[in-house]
Amino acid sequence: MTISKIIEVPYALEIPVGPQHPALHEPVLLKAYADGEEVVRVDIYTGYNHRGIEKLTEKNTFYRNIFIVARVCGICNLVHANCYVRALEELLEKYPNDRARYLRVLAMELERVHSHMLINAVMAEIIGFDSLFMNIMRDREYVMKAKEVLTGNRVLSDYLMVGGVRRDVDSVKKDRLLKLIDRVLPRVKYYRRVFMEDDTLLKRMVGVGVVSKTDALRMSLVGPPARASGVKIDVRSSEKYDAYDEIPFNVVTRKEGDVWARMMVRWDEAIESLNMARYALEHLPSDGNPVPDERRLPRRFPPGEAYTRVEAPRGELTYYVMSDGKPKPYRVKIRTPSFINIINTASVYVGYTVADLPVILVSWDPCISCMERVTVIDPRTGEKRKVPVKELAGGGSRRVSQRYSL
Amino acid sequence: MNGEEHPVVKLLVDKGLIEPSSERVKPNRRIYTFKPERIREIISTMINNLGHDYFYISTVIGTDFPDKKLIRLDYYIVLLPGEETIVLRTWLPRDNPVIDSILDIYPGVLNAECETYDLLGVVFKGNPALKRGFFVPSDLVEKNIYSLRKDSGV
Repeated sequence: MTISKIIEVPYALEIPVGPQHPALHEPVLLKAYADGEEVVRVDIYTGYNHRGIEKLTEKNTFYRNIFIVARVCGICNLVHANCYVRALEELLEKYPNDRARYLRVLAMELERVHSHMLINAVMAEIIGFDSLFMNIMRDREYVMKAKEVLTGNRVLSDYLMVGGVRRDVDSVKKDRLLKLIDRVLPRVKYYRRVFMEDDTLLKRMVGVGVVSKTDALRMSLVGPPARASGVKIDVRSSEKYDAYDEIPFNVVTRKEGDVWARMMVRWDEAIESLNMARYALEHLPSDGNPVPDERRLPRRFPPGEAYTRVEAPRGELTYYVMSDGKPKPYRVKIRTPSFINIINTASVYVGYTVADLPVILVSWDPCISCMERVTVIDPRTGEKRKVPVKELAGGGSRRVSQRYSL
Repeated sequence: MNGEEHPVVKLLVDKGLIEPSSERVKPNRRIYTFKPERIREIISTMINNLGHDYFYISTVIGTDFPDKKLIRLDYYIVLLPGEETIVLRTWLPRDNPVIDSILDIYPGVLNAECETYDLLGVVFKGNPALKRGFFVPSDLVEKNIYSLRKDSGV
């Protein structure tokens, strides 16, 4: 019997994960190599969405940049603006009043709640629990409403300005915000219990993607991934920017270091954040107008450097702003938390199965689709052809011809 | 932040690896200057004395100064558990910016080194992952332009 065909399946199957997916926050490509079901290596490819914002900020004035940096990330636009605005305030040595500081914290904590709810919902969806995804997203809408009441917009709010915020709250808005917080809090507690008790979720998340405390620090992890590995870092508690020195809160840490711990840290933080938001509203100081007169803000920035840190929903976010006395900044450097958490964690996937790959990836905070291929060689002509696994399995739009079928 | 210097910083200063600078990055972050060839020695001293559990490198910031013909490289290091941020600053010649990579002793700088190479052209010797096009689009790579240099024309 002569051999009529050879099917060459490489020892390590190359699986490109990404760069595009409807639920993906940022386009990123993970090239995973799998031996059977086990992932043996992951390479990370970036650059699909590089917009050159650092260069752009060098070409625009200090004040315009407040609105440019808010577009770095849609989900956490307020913390980006806060970090940049605080760097400008350090340069100018002009600080906001207490009411503005409390309102900033309120807005940022609401943002943290909706960001954490979003990624937990995405995790439920990745695991295949779509009804949980939809339920969380429905309740997240209350938080978005609260943000709209406070800042005037659901997502991109442009709420911050040097020396304060751009909208004040009155008693009517305050009551509405408190009602919305009261509505969300029991739901968040309920979802936390679901993530604690549901068998399906636990089976997919517990013991997957474990990062030890030392590894978390060696890889420079920040935010919930670091805190889930027992590293007690939280910029809110160490820098005490804005009103975080006056509002009581707990830094949530866990020791497990797996995907489940990272998601639980997010739920616990969401509960903390809602309590902080309520505290900020109930103890809102009234020491004057938090809205600065934007026409009277100083137009010239003295030469100097400022480096501010802020605890974004995903971890430590830092801005470096350098002024050389001209109307535009000399250098702005943005270091986002996802940048560290995604790029430096390629080694965590190794040893887990292909099915765990998206689960681990989502636990840092983005999410991605999969596509698989093998090569089919025709020995008579030497022709190589790549065939998606979907075709080999007999599905897909194009049937595999009899010659190539397994 | 206003108090005493961290013990490991004191040790590094005593060993002559870094020199305190009178300047500060606002809000009150200490700056220490060092010679570029000693970066590996500094980081390994920190690892040996602190272990991996008590510090992390937050970011590496490169800034181009065409009139001085220099590129400034700042390592922002967060010392735990107090989360004090210190700045280690060095200057590289602009026409040949080369510094040793610390990737093998401290894996957390992968992103920072790749980004600084791609945008500013600072070569981290010994980092196998350096490549153009990590962030910038391919047309800039073909023209061999480092976009964050002031004279790049981007």
